[in-house]
Amino acid sequence: MNLHSVLRALAGAAAVVGALASAQAQAQSVAVTSIVEHPALDAVKDGVHEALASAGYTEAKGLKWQFQTAQGNTAIAAQIARKFVGDKPDVIVAIATPSAQAVVAATKSIPVVYSAVTDPVAAQLVPGMEASGTNVTGVSDALSLEKQIDLIKKVVPEAKKVGMVYNPGEANSVVVVKRLRELLPQSGMSLVEATAARTVDVGAAARSLVGKVDVIYTNTDNNVVSAYESLVKVGNSAKIPLVASDTDSVKRGAIAALGVNYHDLGVQTGKLVVRILKGEKPGAIASETSSKLELYVNTGAAARQGVTLSDALVKSAAQVIK
Amino acid sequence: MSIYSMWGALEIGLIFGLVALGVLISFRVLNFPDLTVDGSFPLGGATAAILIHHGMDPFMATGAATLAAGFAGMVTGWLNVRLKIMDLLASILMMIALYSINLRVMDAPNVPLITDPTVFTVLQPPGIEDYVARPLILLALVVVAKLLLDWFFATQVGLAMRSTGSNPRMARAQGIRTDNMVLLGMAISNALVGLGGALFAQSQGGADISMGIGTIVIGLAAVIIGESILPSRRLMLATLAVVIGAVLYRFFIALALNADFVGLKAQDLNLVTAVLVTVALVIPLAKQRLRKKRA
Amino acid sequence: MLSAQNLHLTFNPGTPIETQALRGMSLDIPAGQFVTVIGSNGAGKSTFLNAISGEQGVDSGAVLIDGEDVTRQPVWDRARKVARVFQDPMAGTCENLTIEENMSLALGRGQFRSLRQAVREEMRVLFRERLAMLGLGLENRLTDRIGLLSGGQRQAVSLLMAALRPSRILLLDEHTAALDPRTAQFVLDLTARIVAEHGLTTMMVTHSMRQALDVGDRTVMLHQGRVVLDVSGDTRRGLEVPDLLAMFEKVRGEELADDTLLLG
Repeated sequence: MNLHSVLRALAGAAAVVGALASAQAQAQSVAVTSIVEHPALDAVKDGVHEALASAGYTEAKGLKWQFQTAQGNTAIAAQIARKFVGDKPDVIVAIATPSAQAVVAATKSIPVVYSAVTDPVAAQLVPGMEASGTNVTGVSDALSLEKQIDLIKKVVPEAKKVGMVYNPGEANSVVVVKRLRELLPQSGMSLVEATAARTVDVGAAARSLVGKVDVIYTNTDNNVVSAYESLVKVGNSAKIPLVASDTDSVKRGAIAALGVNYHDLGVQTGKLVVRILKGEKPGAIASETSSKLELYVNTGAAARQGVTLSDALVKSAAQVIK
Repeated sequence: MSIYSMWGALEIGLIFGLVALGVLISFRVLNFPDLTVDGSFPLGGATAAILIHHGMDPFMATGAATLAAGFAGMVTGWLNVRLKIMDLLASILMMIALYSINLRVMDAPNVPLITDPTVFTVLQPPGIEDYVARPLILLALVVVAKLLLDWFFATQVGLAMRSTGSNPRMARAQGIRTDNMVLLGMAISNALVGLGGALFAQSQGGADISMGIGTIVIGLAAVIIGESILPSRRLMLATLAVVIGAVLYRFFIALALNADFVGLKAQDLNLVTAVLVTVALVIPLAKQRLRKKRA
Repeated sequence: MLSAQNLHLTFNPGTPIETQALRGMSLDIPAGQFVTVIGSNGAGKSTFLNAISGEQGVDSGAVLIDGEDVTRQPVWDRARKVARVFQDPMAGTCENLTIEENMSLALGRGQFRSLRQAVREEMRVLFRERLAMLGLGLENRLTDRIGLLSGGQRQAVSLLMAALRPSRILLLDEHTAALDPRTAQFVLDLTARIVAEHGLTTMMVTHSMRQALDVGDRTVMLHQGRVVLDVSGDTRRGLEVPDLLAMFEKVRGEELADDTLLLG
């Protein structure tokens, strides 16, 4: 009896939703999903929305736009992927590796544009960075690590040991750590790692590097970016220079960052979406990396962390924070 | 809700049905609150993913994953019966340890399985859509698992295990080695959970270090929803009930995902799910009150 | 047969709450004898029982069952030889298992447990037969959860369960103490019947001097962790509670001041 009435209720709900959904099927539709809500990832989503608007695709003109966040849960990410495929949108935008994998696993026909994935090839989203020939393309936020090491040397020329705080559970960060381990020795430096599996561990990880490193570098690790203030506390009190990978962190207390502006990354992603809406096949579009890097410096932070920045560096910055 | 969403809910629901069966064994049969599952679910996924990635046949990889997770469960049991560590604490210790172990197994936080063969691609029958074939394959598997469990708990060993959880003192007085029963039960329980993890990784695109977070909550929700919809002390009905509970839970989430037409937003997903589950739990109570009024 | 040899046990040694529970406890019970054990609270009755069943270890001394030294064996290894009925009716059965499942567990006491079906039809025939003896109609309720039964009914079933498989010693741990007088008498009569029918070597700890004298062949009184009185045969026949009291006082040179022993 109980099961029966529950099933009847479910069927009724499904019918109502189905009717409403089909009414929208004719308009252009874009479905966006992200693994978590996070300032950088949210900026990507907003950038996509903006790019669509600039090209004339708005809700007012009939664009169906939907956004779902997986709340950090891979099972929910999987159900979101299923839902999207069932809704048959014109393009699915998947932000961050776990969400992108769930979507790519769920459909081989609906165009998928990934964004904010550092290594889409290792994640098996695309076979290579060239045009894939499948239904997937996107924008990677991989940074040229050579340029990052260059920046570290410009900020702290005598640095020999570079410390890095990161979440060992985040694919993007592990990729960076592996590459840095290989690249740093070529510049006469070495890497000292400290892991922070949760945001609350970031401060402790930073403290464990005190006395062992000449500078602390961080990438766009979700945990680190969320808890950057705890890193700044350690940097200021122990006088260890901080170099970040996203420009926002410079405002929060890093000395410098040559980073991707995630809003611009979103716009770049949105432009790919527009091309697909206009009829291009995603398999014919090569994956892109972030085209715009900006240098931000914070002279106040430099002073607090015991570093004097060269005039040349400060002059070359897009933004200088006191 | 689209047909696709429904099949998806069934597919993921059946996978978590295996988890729910495992949780039923530890929580209800053995009376052992076991949080190891938050670690053994991803252990199953990680083991299967990394083995398939290195070329192993997906069926063998799945088998290995199941055994690995079973072993993890046995270690939790061992911490409890040999080292006399409180059950809940032993399981938490194991769960924490498994985080690092899983990272080691994968050698990365994420192992994708999008282009590799899986048990599903191997078993895929021609003529049926893959999103229909997968839940059907899983249905067959879950039915077999349920029947095997029902048979097992009707055997002498199974009965001995049930008495261990119900009245360990009496069980020992009947000559039952309760320590061994706990080890065996924890192994079977976590093996089922690990199997679920292995199948999840193969059907959802890969294993990720975060895939285990909240597994115990999902398992318990399934058990409770199941017991509420189909209340019974008989174990044979309980095994059916928890699988139904797991599937229903995923249906509720799928429903909640489609609730944007009521003006709810993405962030409200958890709240909507909680409300739907509460309604499910209240239905039996409401029916009871109605019956009393009529009488 | 059972032989307890000079058992010593001290709880919390070296602390302010140090208690010497067994002080040279020795007792030999030949096969087929039915011994009742009495003593005031703290005399060591339960501790002694637990030492025999294996739930409690001892500091020194030995427990031999049929000549085999079981002193170091855990409960589950001794279960082959030792059958037991607990004081708490809830403690002797598994509440959420059915009557037939509980009886099946007892039928397999101390035996190797295989993957064969736990409850088979030929077992049910045996169970119904034994349950019918109780006259409570339980033989028709094999598939009911045992938790549905009253305390007295569960205790009666526990007793039957203890006799399903042969044992070297049957331990009864104040098994009527938690029951109302009428049910207690019912269970006591049942006890006498079952012990006689199966010729079981039995040790029954009881709270009541009356009970101790009414049932069995021999009565032993414990006091402060050892045996102080041991009566059987002609000496025991025709003894009344006051007589027992007098004997106790003579041996110990003090008055017995425990009401429950007298009034029980």
